Amino acid sequence: MELTSERLRPLEAAAAPASEAPGPPRRRRRPGGRLPGSTVLGIVISLAIVAPLLVVPLSLIGDGFALDPIARTLLPTAVRNSVVLAAGVGATSLVVGGGLAVLVSFYDFPGRRWLDWALVLPMAMPSYVLVYVILGQYGLASPLQSNLLGDGFRLPGIRSVGGAVLVLSAVLYPYVYLLARSALVGQSRQSIEAARSLGDGYGRAIWRVAVPLARPALAAGTALVVMEALADFGTVNLLGVQALTSGVYRVWNGGFDESAALQLASVLVGLALVLLLVERVLRGRARYHQAVGRGDAVVPRRLRGWRGWLAALPGVVLLLVVFALPVAQLVAWSWETATEGGLGVDLRTAITNTLLVAALATLAAVVTGTVVAYGLRARSTRLGRVSARLGTIGYAIPGTVVAVAVYVPLVWVDRHVVTAANDAFGWSVGLLFTGTVLGLVLAYLVRFHALSFFSVEARMTRINPNLDDAARSLGADHTRVLADVHLPLLRPGIVTAALLVLVDVMKELPVTALLRPLGRDTLAITVWEATKDSRIDAAALPALLIVLVGLVPVIVLVRLRQREGGAATLP
Amino acid sequence: MLSRLIRMRWPLPVAGVVVAGIIVGVTIATASDGGNTLVIYNGRSHYGDEQVFTDFEELTGINVELRGGTGPELYERLRREGDDTPADVLVTTDLANLWRAEEAGLLEPHELTPTLEANVPAELRDPAGAWVAVSTRLRVPVVSTERVPEGAVTDYADLGDPQYRGRTCLRTSNNEYNQSFVADRIAKYGLDATRELLESWMANDPEIVNSDGELLAVIAAGDCDVGLSNHYYLGRALLENPDFPVAPAWPDQDGRGAHANVSGVGVVTWSDDEEDAVRLMEYLTSPPAQELIVAGSEFAANPDVPPAEHIRDWADVNVDPIAVEEAGPLLDDAIALMLEVGWN
Repeated sequence: MELTSERLRPLEAAAAPASEAPGPPRRRRRPGGRLPGSTVLGIVISLAIVAPLLVVPLSLIGDGFALDPIARTLLPTAVRNSVVLAAGVGATSLVVGGGLAVLVSFYDFPGRRWLDWALVLPMAMPSYVLVYVILGQYGLASPLQSNLLGDGFRLPGIRSVGGAVLVLSAVLYPYVYLLARSALVGQSRQSIEAARSLGDGYGRAIWRVAVPLARPALAAGTALVVMEALADFGTVNLLGVQALTSGVYRVWNGGFDESAALQLASVLVGLALVLLLVERVLRGRARYHQAVGRGDAVVPRRLRGWRGWLAALPGVVLLLVVFALPVAQLVAWSWETATEGGLGVDLRTAITNTLLVAALATLAAVVTGTVVAYGLRARSTRLGRVSARLGTIGYAIPGTVVAVAVYVPLVWVDRHVVTAANDAFGWSVGLLFTGTVLGLVLAYLVRFHALSFFSVEARMTRINPNLDDAARSLGADHTRVLADVHLPLLRPGIVTAALLVLVDVMKELPVTALLRPLGRDTLAITVWEATKDSRIDAAALPALLIVLVGLVPVIVLVRLRQREGGAATLP
Repeated sequence: MLSRLIRMRWPLPVAGVVVAGIIVGVTIATASDGGNTLVIYNGRSHYGDEQVFTDFEELTGINVELRGGTGPELYERLRREGDDTPADVLVTTDLANLWRAEEAGLLEPHELTPTLEANVPAELRDPAGAWVAVSTRLRVPVVSTERVPEGAVTDYADLGDPQYRGRTCLRTSNNEYNQSFVADRIAKYGLDATRELLESWMANDPEIVNSDGELLAVIAAGDCDVGLSNHYYLGRALLENPDFPVAPAWPDQDGRGAHANVSGVGVVTWSDDEEDAVRLMEYLTSPPAQELIVAGSEFAANPDVPPAEHIRDWADVNVDPIAVEEAGPLLDDAIALMLEVGWN
């Protein structure tokens, strides 16, 4: 569960009131003591990470809340499409993910154990790769022959909000499934049996007792899915849906209108915040799932004969359509391009570029995450807690917004600071931030620092504070405690952080699309551009590689579930 | 590395400085303008277009570095980078991109060399000398050979024929080819006539696709019957598959003819390699390079080079060259009009 809950934590943190801040055990205040250096450093880093995002709301205030003409033209459609998209994906994922979780938790049928983990797999597929596979089925103009469904197969109406809802739900429902599954597993047999003793049938008891108890998990999973749908760029861009994210990109790279782009971005962020609030209200005080869970675990009811096969059908068909077939298609296309010698330099440079930026962003995020988490532990101040939480907001902000928000101040810095350095000292470094690896890595950091911080911090809270005190009483200062006590114990948290950031950066599309250094296309960019141009052959292997990379954390997640859950997960 | 860090006295600051150093180092290493290298911002297709540049390298010994992106991306970057840009040459598609670059001062007007004047006819050059065309392309209606009878579509207006309601495909209005087409239309027919044309197109509720290539694939697969595409995408599809079930419908052949646009090349204002940049321009418009460009089904800017074998009879089409000087300033009006009529 660790990986999913890590993804949820930024959400929870952003929505939680200050007093509920996830943080290390409070430490006694040393009256009058100077703040430890690491605490100060942590605060500075957190604030620096969140600072660029302030550009976004400022764009509205700066123009006296007057909307730019382009923004005004695009807004009504974009808002409507984004809202419909988010609601549609949320509802579909809730029904599909929640329904499958109930089925797997309360019924036993052929293939259930296998389905339980396989249903998570579609998470590994970025939505733009799925769009690539779907649009690639219009085979006639492509030199590729190996279309599994024959040339010219198509999904009518795929280029619409409805099509985008289908594609996004196909890869996002696992979030709801995972959270619902773990909430349902934790429930006791007794509560179901109590309902049954009052005259309910098994199915009705599940619906009236088990599902309401899982409501917080269902709400959390759906909220996550809705956020991801709002933030999606690749699907709406490739399917030609005018949503807020594609609107920002369009205005930036076609209208060349900075303030209109920022205004659209502000609306997008506002919408995301409203949805967070709605989720909080819907979930209400419904935290009672933690109170139950005593007693025996639910034993799923065995379905025999045709009922068992019928129960297996939805999961199997779903997996076949959204995962197995698309992956098989990717393998077939890759094989075809590889055997025809279609690889060459482009793929190699795309892999190098991807690894280069992902590795740098990972290094940076691991350092910032560790510093901020440790700063909080060294001395937990209110300022420290608030700034640490602010620093994680970037994860809840769509990539297009982060890219635009980071770009604007960086250009300013480039113009003024770097030029000043040129003039004063004759240092000639050219542009340091604009369209460079550094600018890109900083934007990734704003977006993914949260993943690293939460992974490290989750691990750090598990280190007993007495260890710190013991080391301190032996005369060690804060850095010594960190070096000799914490870092060795933190290793698993740091590895998790590195893995999460690495994979997310390698799959990332909107930030990369807007800020990449020219001539350094990554795998994700290769897939995106080839899909736009209907050059299906050019992106088969890059797309397959992205899915394989995405599988790594999903497999780790599945193994963790199996190890932690053990008998409880799979009775 | 972790264990060595742990034994240090200041593990986090040291790690921070080391990581920051690595990132800045990589940035500087990757962002260098390469000294002698001629850096080209290339907005033309990066699928198979590189051969001309490799040939130029071999011929002249000048090192070339291609940095690809869409026309608007390159414009946005160049504008931001200003005099810090590593770029020496801008190669881009479409009059809209060339005009915007010139207007923003990104391309420097030059007196053309005799070679350039000989290679490219006057109507395919910027009057001020900021760019020359390397190819021309027709933006024309394309139709399904299976569902649209020959001769049914003979003009752009036919895309607004109610009989094709729900059966037309268009690329987004964000696309420069469409923007240039509309701007040229406004220049030649006026705003009202152009609005009428676009409104009739929109009344057919067109499906919006990402690219001309996708548009052709969608027509071939049967989701649309008619659309608007640059001719060379169709040329390429036909080269790949001679039975490809889409055909060009040459528009307005008794009138002005088919809308012809250009792709072109110019020297970036802040280039420190102008001499080499001009050599590249001369090479790109010379017959050997034009042969390669024509192989991609475009038409050559150099009148000595005929179209590719498989589309040679397309050379007889009556064409209407884009109004280079009038269409550019109308681009903003064109975009506003497209949004006004609801072209997404």
